[in-house]
Amino acid sequence: MTVRECYAAMGASYEEIVGRLANDDRIKKFLGKFLNEKSFELLCSSLEERNMEEAFRAAHTLKGVSQNLAFTPLVKSVSVLTEQLRGREAYGEELEPLLQQVKEDYDKTFSLISSLLEE
Amino acid sequence: MNETTNINESAKNAADVIALKDTLLIADDAEINRELLKDIFEEQYVILEAADGVETIDLIKKNSDRIALIFLDLIMPNKSGLDVLSFMEENGYELIPVIMITGEATAMSEERAYELGAADVIYKPFQPNVVMRRAQNIIELFQHRIDLEIKLEERTRELEATRRIIENSNSFLINALSSVVEFRSLESGEHVQRVKYFTKILLKEIRKMYPEYRLTKENIRLMSDASALHDIGKIAIPDSILLKPGKLTRDEFEEMKKHTTYGCELLEKFKQEEENEFYQYCYDIVRWHHERYDGKGYPDGIGGDDIPIWAQAVSIVDVYDALVSKRVYKAPYAVDEAVRMIEAGECGTFSPQLLECFQMAKSKLFEATEMEVSYADAMIK
Repeated sequence: MTVRECYAAMGASYEEIVGRLANDDRIKKFLGKFLNEKSFELLCSSLEERNMEEAFRAAHTLKGVSQNLAFTPLVKSVSVLTEQLRGREAYGEELEPLLQQVKEDYDKTFSLISSLLEE
Repeated sequence: MNETTNINESAKNAADVIALKDTLLIADDAEINRELLKDIFEEQYVILEAADGVETIDLIKKNSDRIALIFLDLIMPNKSGLDVLSFMEENGYELIPVIMITGEATAMSEERAYELGAADVIYKPFQPNVVMRRAQNIIELFQHRIDLEIKLEERTRELEATRRIIENSNSFLINALSSVVEFRSLESGEHVQRVKYFTKILLKEIRKMYPEYRLTKENIRLMSDASALHDIGKIAIPDSILLKPGKLTRDEFEEMKKHTTYGCELLEKFKQEEENEFYQYCYDIVRWHHERYDGKGYPDGIGGDDIPIWAQAVSIVDVYDALVSKRVYKAPYAVDEAVRMIEAGECGTFSPQLLECFQMAKSKLFEATEMEVSYADAMIK
């Protein structure tokens, strides 16, 4: 799989990321770092603990990282969740489907990157 | 020789300042975002990284001299980017430029960031080459600002020193010139110094009570310097008149009165081309310090406020000092008696406002009259 194919499979724009990072080696370097990025785990655990402030910050961080790496679908779902969490003090059931969507997009992105880098 | 050394030194200093600013501080809670920026700049700069607001503030405190630019994420744990900006504003770090990084364009936080002194705001996702260009521009702008500030400070200090030297030598020359007359006339040696000092006290009083005369600290200083020259024209009066112990004859008195116009002739010879405030004060005082408010004085017989306030002031303090001093032709009056004579109109007429201010200033004049220290010393304060 090429980086272009990886981004296509994600439903994201290869043109956007290569415009920013110039070549595949650079892109791969930062994709590798994304696998170690902890904000997704922090988002899940802080929502379980009902720590809404922390959850907002984690979602916000994940959003920023996804934006910089041009993960279009993940940016979209995590942006929706981030806005729902902004300034929020209590957990609500309506967050559940939003989180599910983020998880789905994150898992897909994560596994595509893993297989790209394993090759 | 000296000049060359100075230029080399300031060039060296400027180089030091630039060389010191070799560090970028990247504050973002996501490592990837920091790495993306680091990737752009690590060949040119030493990179410091902070993952939250507290770390950022800590690094600013420790490295403020070296940091050329800060990239600051808006939302971070512990302390936010806005907290960091407030800290910088409150603690005098305004000369370190900050580029705010934010994920969303909320007008609120952007405006707040600029308000708190951010130099620029950029949005994620950022284009590395654009970030690089903007960062370079801002670093150059701030370096330029710092250099200008340093230069301005140096220049201000130089000007201040030069001004002080000129002021001192001016005072010295005025004092030397005005004491020439005293030296010849054997008057109480410090008459000129006292007139100068009294004039300043009285003008300060007038400034307080009558703002319409538009007196300022600066023009009062010039007027009191100018007052020292009030009798400069006496240099042209023959000894037989100037030093005569008894009463002068009518003709002798007429000659004596001419010291006002002789003084002006003298000044005119040295008049410079351009309008000069100090020259004007000197001229007016020399010419009109014997005019009277009722128009019966000399040499021109002008009256009322046609006599400039500076000449009026010198006129009253000259009379006062003459009364309380011993002269070749008279014994000194007591201070109280001198004041009474002036207020009763026995020694000329003065404007009601001037008399009122004289009244207010008289206790300060008493103190000065009775001080045993040289008035020249008092002037220096």
